[in-house]
Amino acid sequence: MIRVALPVLLLLGLPFALSDFWLFIAIEVLAFALYAVSFNVLLGYGGMLSFGHAAFFGVGGYAAAILIKQAGLPGGVAFALVPLVALAVSAAFALLIGYFSVQRSGIYFAMLTFAFQMLLYTIALKATSVTGGDDGMTGLKPPGLLAKPFYYYYFALALIAPALYVLYRMVNSPFGFTLRALRANPRRVQYIGVNVRAHQLVAFVISGAFAGLAGALFALSTGNVFPGWLNWTASATPIVMAVLGGVHTFLGPAVGAAVYVVLEVLISGRTEYWPLAMGVIIVALVLLMPEGLSGFARRKAA
Amino acid sequence: MIDFVVQQLAWAQNPVVVARQLLAGVSNGMLLFLISAGLSLIFGVLRVINFAHGALFMFGALIAVSLTALAPGTTGGFVAALIGASAGLAVLGAAIETGLLRRIYRAPHEYQLLLTFALVFILGDAAKLIWGREDNSVQVPALLTGSAQAFGLTFPTYRLFLIVVGIAVAIGLWLVLHRTRWGIFVRAATIDRGMLSALGVNTRRLFTAVFALGAALAGLGGALAAPIVAVGPGLHVQVIIDAFVVVVIGGMGSVLGALVASLLVGIVNAFGILAIPGAAVVLTFALMAVVLIVRPHGLFGTPE
Repeated sequence: MIRVALPVLLLLGLPFALSDFWLFIAIEVLAFALYAVSFNVLLGYGGMLSFGHAAFFGVGGYAAAILIKQAGLPGGVAFALVPLVALAVSAAFALLIGYFSVQRSGIYFAMLTFAFQMLLYTIALKATSVTGGDDGMTGLKPPGLLAKPFYYYYFALALIAPALYVLYRMVNSPFGFTLRALRANPRRVQYIGVNVRAHQLVAFVISGAFAGLAGALFALSTGNVFPGWLNWTASATPIVMAVLGGVHTFLGPAVGAAVYVVLEVLISGRTEYWPLAMGVIIVALVLLMPEGLSGFARRKAA
Repeated sequence: MIDFVVQQLAWAQNPVVVARQLLAGVSNGMLLFLISAGLSLIFGVLRVINFAHGALFMFGALIAVSLTALAPGTTGGFVAALIGASAGLAVLGAAIETGLLRRIYRAPHEYQLLLTFALVFILGDAAKLIWGREDNSVQVPALLTGSAQAFGLTFPTYRLFLIVVGIAVAIGLWLVLHRTRWGIFVRAATIDRGMLSALGVNTRRLFTAVFALGAALAGLGGALAAPIVAVGPGLHVQVIIDAFVVVVIGGMGSVLGALVASLLVGIVNAFGILAIPGAAVVLTFALMAVVLIVRPHGLFGTPE
């Protein structure tokens, strides 16, 4: 009981304890936690390494921005539609990209997702009239009270917590166990009579849809979306978060997201060489902590 | 719609324009070949996608900036830059392989991906710390300035030089891979590393040498590209993508595939700029996606 109640109270009480700046960071953590967990449903449970997952985070962000800026709907209506539209649009993109990508496995799967992501990146960069091109889209603040981090935090939490719960139920359902079996031995699962690609595609679409929701919520928090969100360098972010937190636990990637975002804020506030610092952190992580923070903590405790 | 297409393709009736774009595409393709040949070899033998390969290319270009600055515009300075960049990158490559990559060959894909990815950031910032944030340029040596003329076509001498060097490197690589004992080991390693090791070949040393060779080719490519690109931060992020597309199209691990795909991508880009100005790059990614779907191991690759 205490294990559930404590985090819930903590999450609900956070806005009363944090300054607006750190609350803004907390919202970023929530969005990236959903992003990393949704990514890890593929990697940690399904054994599918997507190297183009930023495609869905970016598509979600752009879907929100285009809906608010260009659909011609009243601000409140457009805003209320953002979560649904972001989910639907990124699910549609995930269905299309996933359909082709799950035909391959291993490193070729990673490269296909990567190719599609770069295709979307160049479109975002070149379709200037819709996406703003290189400048991206700015000024996406939500209406009324939600423009304040205090209220937006609860808005984001009210969407992200159920989303995480849905993912949690999914990975612990029969479907989720089939997915885990696929990671361990895809051929054997196929021999049992399971449609491997259909399972992988469903996981890919669900994962992509929630990554898109995360992107939309993050876009509304910062008020911007940029083509860089879709660039290849962005696709390492969820991998780093998942590996950092540990890919074999459900919430590990969320912890990884929190650590990553806070480290970025702390380090990039002090030096312009944040990429260098992150690079060194990743090297240390890869060489010293093969099971991520959660595995590291477990081993220390044991 | 048809009018628009006809208008967009009007240049195709002008043989001079077509020939000019073809030559430009081939010379760019040769630069792409230098970087993607190494990337492909490294993947073939080490089974690692080296995202840092673009950064190695950038380091080659930056070393060329420093070395040519000692004697700008001279042939000696330029030759020193080519040799210095290749040798310097061979050493850096060997250091990266022995110090870092060697430790994670048995780890899952995502660890290898993350490690070379981390190197992109580390090397990118290291370049900023060493050479600063400005764009640099390198003077074409006096010997290679000017342009050649034939059939009413004017073409920069330096571009022709790039094509000659590209052909020379391609032939050299082919000879090394097909006419030396070491080359046999490299080709065997792309097929079955375990068997090669079981037969008593020192694969650890082979891996280091292959990575160093790939890095040296990237360094040479960077030094050769230095006179025709803006050498500065961010160069590596774009270059690696082009090389990656080439390697995927040509087939990971195949040097011949890298050559053919480099020329293909170079030429597609050169004409794509005329056909759909500003969005030619979409063509190359579309090409890559189609190849991956239809023939996932690439044009000349072997299936896993």
